[in-house]
Amino acid sequence: MERVIEEALLTGKKLGASYVEARVIDREIEEISTKDGSVEGIKHSTSKGFGVRVICNGSWGFSSSFNVSDAEVKRVTEEAVEIAKASALTKIDDVKLRETDIYQDKVPQPVKIDPFSVSLEKKIDTLIELNKLMNKEGVIVRRANMHFSREWKTFASSEGAFLEMERIVSGAGLASIASNGKEIQMRSYPSSFGGDLQRKGFEWIEELKLQENAENTARESIALLNAKPCPSGKMDIILHPNQMVLQIHESCGHPTELDRVLGEEASYAGTSFLTPDKLGKFRYGSDIVNIVADATAPYALGGFAYDDEGVKARKVYLIKNGIFVGYLNSRETAQKLGLEPMGAMRADNWNRMPIIRMTSVNLEPGDKTLEELIQGVDYGILMSTNRSWSIDQMRLNFQFGTEIGWEIRNGKIQDMVKNPTYSGITYEFWRSCDGIGNENYYHIFGLPNCGKGEPPQVMEVSHGSSYARFRNVQVGVLR
Amino acid sequence: MNKDELEKILRKTIGVSKGETEAVVLGGRSYVTAFANNYIHRNVGENNYTLSIRVAFGKRVGSVTVNDFNEGAIEDAVKRAEEIAKSSSEIPDFVSFAKPEEVPERSFFLESTEQASPSLRAEYVKKIIDTAKEKGLNANGTFTTEEMALGVANSLGVMRISQLTTASLKSVIMSDTSSGYSLATSIDINDISVDSVIKESVSLALSGKNPLPIEPGKYEVILSPYAFSEFLSSLCYLTFNARAVEECSSFFLDNFGKKMFPEHVTIYDDGLSSETIPMPFDFEGVPKKRVYFIKNGVITDVVYDTLTAYKVGRESTGHSLPQPSDFSPYPMNVIMEGGSLARDEIISHVEKGLYVHRFWYTNPMDPRRAVITGMTRDGLFLIEGGKITKPVKNMRFTESAIDALANCVEVSKEKKINYEGTSITVPYVRIKDFMFTSATEF
Repeated sequence: MERVIEEALLTGKKLGASYVEARVIDREIEEISTKDGSVEGIKHSTSKGFGVRVICNGSWGFSSSFNVSDAEVKRVTEEAVEIAKASALTKIDDVKLRETDIYQDKVPQPVKIDPFSVSLEKKIDTLIELNKLMNKEGVIVRRANMHFSREWKTFASSEGAFLEMERIVSGAGLASIASNGKEIQMRSYPSSFGGDLQRKGFEWIEELKLQENAENTARESIALLNAKPCPSGKMDIILHPNQMVLQIHESCGHPTELDRVLGEEASYAGTSFLTPDKLGKFRYGSDIVNIVADATAPYALGGFAYDDEGVKARKVYLIKNGIFVGYLNSRETAQKLGLEPMGAMRADNWNRMPIIRMTSVNLEPGDKTLEELIQGVDYGILMSTNRSWSIDQMRLNFQFGTEIGWEIRNGKIQDMVKNPTYSGITYEFWRSCDGIGNENYYHIFGLPNCGKGEPPQVMEVSHGSSYARFRNVQVGVLR
Repeated sequence: MNKDELEKILRKTIGVSKGETEAVVLGGRSYVTAFANNYIHRNVGENNYTLSIRVAFGKRVGSVTVNDFNEGAIEDAVKRAEEIAKSSSEIPDFVSFAKPEEVPERSFFLESTEQASPSLRAEYVKKIIDTAKEKGLNANGTFTTEEMALGVANSLGVMRISQLTTASLKSVIMSDTSSGYSLATSIDINDISVDSVIKESVSLALSGKNPLPIEPGKYEVILSPYAFSEFLSSLCYLTFNARAVEECSSFFLDNFGKKMFPEHVTIYDDGLSSETIPMPFDFEGVPKKRVYFIKNGVITDVVYDTLTAYKVGRESTGHSLPQPSDFSPYPMNVIMEGGSLARDEIISHVEKGLYVHRFWYTNPMDPRRAVITGMTRDGLFLIEGGKITKPVKNMRFTESAIDALANCVEVSKEKKINYEGTSITVPYVRIKDFMFTSATEF
């Protein structure tokens, strides 16, 4: 491993690169999915390779290969340099990296139970049992799944960084789909789209309390078929932490990525309304809204020891007392705005150049109990578990839907409602936040599928939140 | 890897396995030259191959994917797949891997594309950037070239290898208040007209400046092929596949054979059409069949892989994704038949309405009715008196793709290929009563 990296750094420098970095990643993934009481698929995959990123003639070049051999390292590094030289044909300014502390470190990840030491039979039995618990009349599809991954990453740069990091992830989730022949309704636990993941071992599966929640998940999917439709109009809403995850992700996480702010994602993901002139002054939310990017949060899926530029993980405020105060950045974008690198450059595997990604972007807990939040609503909806999401390319106009809702009348939870949706303009919505649940409800959910970049990258991020209440929000869709 | 090397890997994998076995090799070299703010900011290359193995003992199936082809690695991977299969419980619907079918070999590999160098890609991009700079605009986009190989073999006798090249040039040109989009994709880089891409994206950015506010509500719309392909893309996973029918989420369930759409609505999947980025067989090695989803307005069929097909006593239509998959089967070469009128003629039939160049971030809200929400992007214009008159600010739509097809009154003769891994080739369409539900600030 060290030899491959050394060869890349030496070759790059010899060919005239002013900066060279190399990453070698060795990753193993196990995915088990079950459906309707049987195994649907078991997939075990391994992927190993390396990527070399260089600055040559003042521009970036990157190349990568699955073939970890001396000859291929030389070819790939030469190609990265050739690509950088081609980039320089359109150069406006030389790439400059903000200086940062240089580290040599080795960071293993201790877990209580190595997920790859647990037998496949035990994992399958657990999932089949969950299927059985969801087997109720009216349920047409039952799903339960587990995901485990382990990787070793070695990173080195021509500035002297040398980092070795281990990453172990475990996760699971279940879902029940019910139908009456006319419509379908779905409930998921603990959140939708694959469940909840953390940087933990198999112990996390045991902590998820899947068995305790399987029957209720199925029951709610059936009950939704006969629930009344969610009303439309302006009203108060309370969002469950598992929906706040998506709200934070789309309307705070993405718009604070400094590469999109500077237009680097304009052709695909879009840009952002949080332009540099707003930094430190723009009222993003109400006074009680405090959002951090915290890669040091224990076990959080968006956490790590060092990012893919070798910057040490840290916690920074993006929104402080409602004011927009910080970006997710890289060494290059930090240099452009005169900021400190905060460590958000991440590549989804050895074959991708790092780009700015969310870490664990979390809304800090408030001081309310759930009862207090509900008591403060004359008429509104409590919504849980994301079902659909859409937001414009500047991250202003959003419309999100959840799997389930409950009507709140005169400060009390009343009937279940189906197909809830709500929409708004990001800063108007966050400014209407007047209550956040206390730390007893706070949980950091792992989101394994954040897509961004060209070529596309899928990143593991996370978001912590408690319940939150928003006033006078558009619920339902204009027809 | 060349064809002989790929075949050797496939044969070796099948040869060392003790069970019924399937081997899939997928990979190649791909390059993306990405530009933003009038310069190349991300420029990358990748060389990767994966070998996916499925081993079945009866109905117990194990799957392994590796990207290591060194001595002993294939043997280890097969052994791992066998162990997983033995430890697994049965997949009740599994019958077997695909049976062999005779099909002629066809090549979609062009050296012109395969040999595209970093400097050639940069020269194409520079031409876009230079034009943007000249007009005071901001150029963004990507130029992607790929050479990919897909090889599938199984112990029932399937052995197929296909090599494919693609070149895809995307341009998003922006002013302070507008943007314009263009995309061109072909297996031959020489078919990519950078001038056409520049013309389309630059003219939209120029004519879209200073958009006016507009009220949400129902409008008659002309959707460009870029915008309309988003709708069909949603229907691919919500409606047009056997899994969605099996899980009761497809609108087609209970509606097969019914005429639900106008006569001119005909939509099918055909991996070998000259109108698509081709794919001769699927990830189980089954040759692609033409499958009509809607024929002259009548709901006809959906696509199948072996698992969903054998379960209902049918043959696979050749639409498997890499297995095991929660999303398979899936149409990857969707085509809608065009009409006889030119784009401008169907625009001329709109007294008051909107021209939508592109949709963005579309997501389903109700799978059964295929209700989709999303934003307009990169060109929204008012049509008055049969002509595009002025730009308007972007809006959110919330509309059923089923209703939109039912309300599709005209289709153009011009079509475009929209390629992002899957290929969707559609005309401009005129749709009545299309619902926009909210506005945004730009």
